[in-house]
Amino acid sequence: MNVDKTLVASVALHVLVIGWGLVSFSSKAFESMPEESLPVDIISSDQLAKVMAGVKTGKKENPKPVVEKVAEAKPVEDTVGKITEKPPVVTETAPPPQPKLEEKPVEKKPDPPKPVAEAKPKEEPKPIEKKPDPPKVDPIAEALKKEEKKPPPKPQVQAATPPPQPSKPKTERTFDQSKIAALLDKRDPTRQAVTGDTLNSNAALGLAKGKAADNSATWGALFQSQVERCWKKPYGGIEAQKSEAAFAIKLKRDGTLEGMPVPEGTPATPYLRVYQESALRAIIECQPYNLPAAYFDEWKYFAPVFTERKT
Amino acid sequence: MTDKDGLYDMPLRLSRRQVISGMASLGVLTGGTARSAFGQAPKRVIIPEGDFAPLPIAIPNFVAGTPGDGEVGVSVAQVITNNLKRCGLFAPIDPAAFIEKINDIDKAPQFQNWKTINAQALVTGRMTLQADRRLKAEFRLWDVNTGQQLAGQQYFTSPEYSRRIAHIISDQIYERLTGEKGYFDSRVVFVDETGSKERRVKRLALMDQDGFNVRYLTKGADLVLTPRFSPARDEQLITYMEFGQGDPRVYLYRIETGEREIVGNFPGMSFSPRFSPDGQRVIMSLQQGGNSNLFVMDLRSKSTTRLTDTPAIDTSPSYAPDGARICFESDRGGKPQIYVMPATGGSAQRISFGEGSYSTPVWSPRGDYIAFTKQGSGQFSIGIMKPDGSGERILTSGFHNEGPTFAPNGRVLMFFRDPGGNAGPSLFTVDISGRNEQRVPTPGFASDPAWSPLLS
Repeated sequence: MNVDKTLVASVALHVLVIGWGLVSFSSKAFESMPEESLPVDIISSDQLAKVMAGVKTGKKENPKPVVEKVAEAKPVEDTVGKITEKPPVVTETAPPPQPKLEEKPVEKKPDPPKPVAEAKPKEEPKPIEKKPDPPKVDPIAEALKKEEKKPPPKPQVQAATPPPQPSKPKTERTFDQSKIAALLDKRDPTRQAVTGDTLNSNAALGLAKGKAADNSATWGALFQSQVERCWKKPYGGIEAQKSEAAFAIKLKRDGTLEGMPVPEGTPATPYLRVYQESALRAIIECQPYNLPAAYFDEWKYFAPVFTERKT
Repeated sequence: MTDKDGLYDMPLRLSRRQVISGMASLGVLTGGTARSAFGQAPKRVIIPEGDFAPLPIAIPNFVAGTPGDGEVGVSVAQVITNNLKRCGLFAPIDPAAFIEKINDIDKAPQFQNWKTINAQALVTGRMTLQADRRLKAEFRLWDVNTGQQLAGQQYFTSPEYSRRIAHIISDQIYERLTGEKGYFDSRVVFVDETGSKERRVKRLALMDQDGFNVRYLTKGADLVLTPRFSPARDEQLITYMEFGQGDPRVYLYRIETGEREIVGNFPGMSFSPRFSPDGQRVIMSLQQGGNSNLFVMDLRSKSTTRLTDTPAIDTSPSYAPDGARICFESDRGGKPQIYVMPATGGSAQRISFGEGSYSTPVWSPRGDYIAFTKQGSGQFSIGIMKPDGSGERILTSGFHNEGPTFAPNGRVLMFFRDPGGNAGPSLFTVDISGRNEQRVPTPGFASDPAWSPLLS
């Protein structure tokens, strides 16, 4: 009997413990679930860089962004016009000569590639201030208030200006007074640093060289899930495995089509024609599309590709 | 013809309007922030591998051209609906949901009414019995979302062929919407079985692919087996095996005339015949002692050629659609397996290596698959494999499934299934993907189906 009691007690305890464990674990699992409701995209560092680069169209009234989250800073409009204005604003970091030099050439309006490159390194260090930029950060803040520091950077800038891209080493080469004005404009590079650094309250989007932000992973997935509901894919058996149909479509803000989707290319086989038509039907039938308004500039014109090809 | 002009105008007008609006929007865009939008190729968004789904299609009753044509209009629409539904690639919409009644097929339908009920395609048509007693059938196939006419045809026939017209229209719709040839305008020859299991009467019978218009070709006095259609479209010719007074023999039967003739005059039993793709030859098995070998006979010259000479049972030969190779069943390796060899004879290559035994191979008219009956683990299955033996796929299994035959487009198989017990066999179709198994209605029990080529 005693044995039984201990056994029973043991079993009961085990059951209790295991049961409690089950309940507690499961409850934890449930709690953790709801947290993720934001659309999360897996993007490459390259894509991130693009995101950071800002939009060409962004306005730079607020050249100096506050450092917050990187991703959100992108929305901006016309950068070009403002860029010219900004040069004065920019206070280059006189202290660290080398970094500045590099940035400056990049900042030059003509060099689209460089800004991107610069932006990338900045982004990687998520912290508000970027690795080489700590000096810059200070200048930025200062620059907003004080533009005094300009003189020191200017000489360097001027040197850099004459040679457009490869100028980095050349910064000191020549002094062309005539190009001083250009140099002034080029101070925008500070902005680049800013955009790269911060996604802040200021939507200082546009760098002269900035590429459009790429959030297609987000709205693309939304578009895909919506258009798939209407897609009645024709059943084509084995030869259908390499089918693909691409379109160029324009959407209005309300998510409806602005015009007929334009198919890319002429289908080579009857099945490909049917495949393309089925996709066209789906695009038309499933409008309006409910896509994030924040990314309208991206999804107002894009190319959905219906494909059976793996990878 | 003026009707047609009016109709063809519609899509054109639409597209013109679209062009204009497109131009306008383009102007707006370029005036605004379009630089980034058009400066580079649009961002590509991949929509990968959607699931196959049947296409929702609306098939309202065909309009009556004269007051007396209402009935045929209804029946034609029903035949089309039934065809498209049975093939599994379409989802005909219940007519009760229709909002718009089609009264004039020469005007474009109100597509919004059909979008509302989620139709993606719409078939409109009209049947008219003309003064010359000919039946005129017209139909138009519309893409509801784009408003474009995808197909439009008219046919003339005598009134008793209204079903046939419906099948032809079904094929047109099928081909336009799937990109593949249809198979509805075709027939099936099969062995009709009646009576108790002990005294079963077997007659050769012919029917439309959907089970209608059954005709009996033999009276049932003698046992018939393995009927096969000639692939040659213009001659309605069947070959089959019949147990007559003596040994079973292979016969030819002309459907139009009812003529019957024996194929060759061989000592011993001849069985398991099948036509060559051009319909000029019949390949079959001849019994020789305990063995059987493959022979081919030219129907014109009556010359016979031996293809195999083995101490085994070689049977069930079937030509590839190009006529260059044949597949057949042989137990030369022990159990019955499927082999492929040149149509002129030569070395055979075994292609079936799964567990169990394989029999009744038949080459798809498309050439991409060989269908077979597989026996193993107490079950009979219908399956397909590629001609090199790869990609074997079982489509259905059970107590007894046997005798696959391909539809003219190679997309569907028909076979017979015997549930065992006192019941008899009946016919089924299944897609080569294994989906959409359907029973084919027959008046009695039925076995050994063979599909005809397309009739038109």
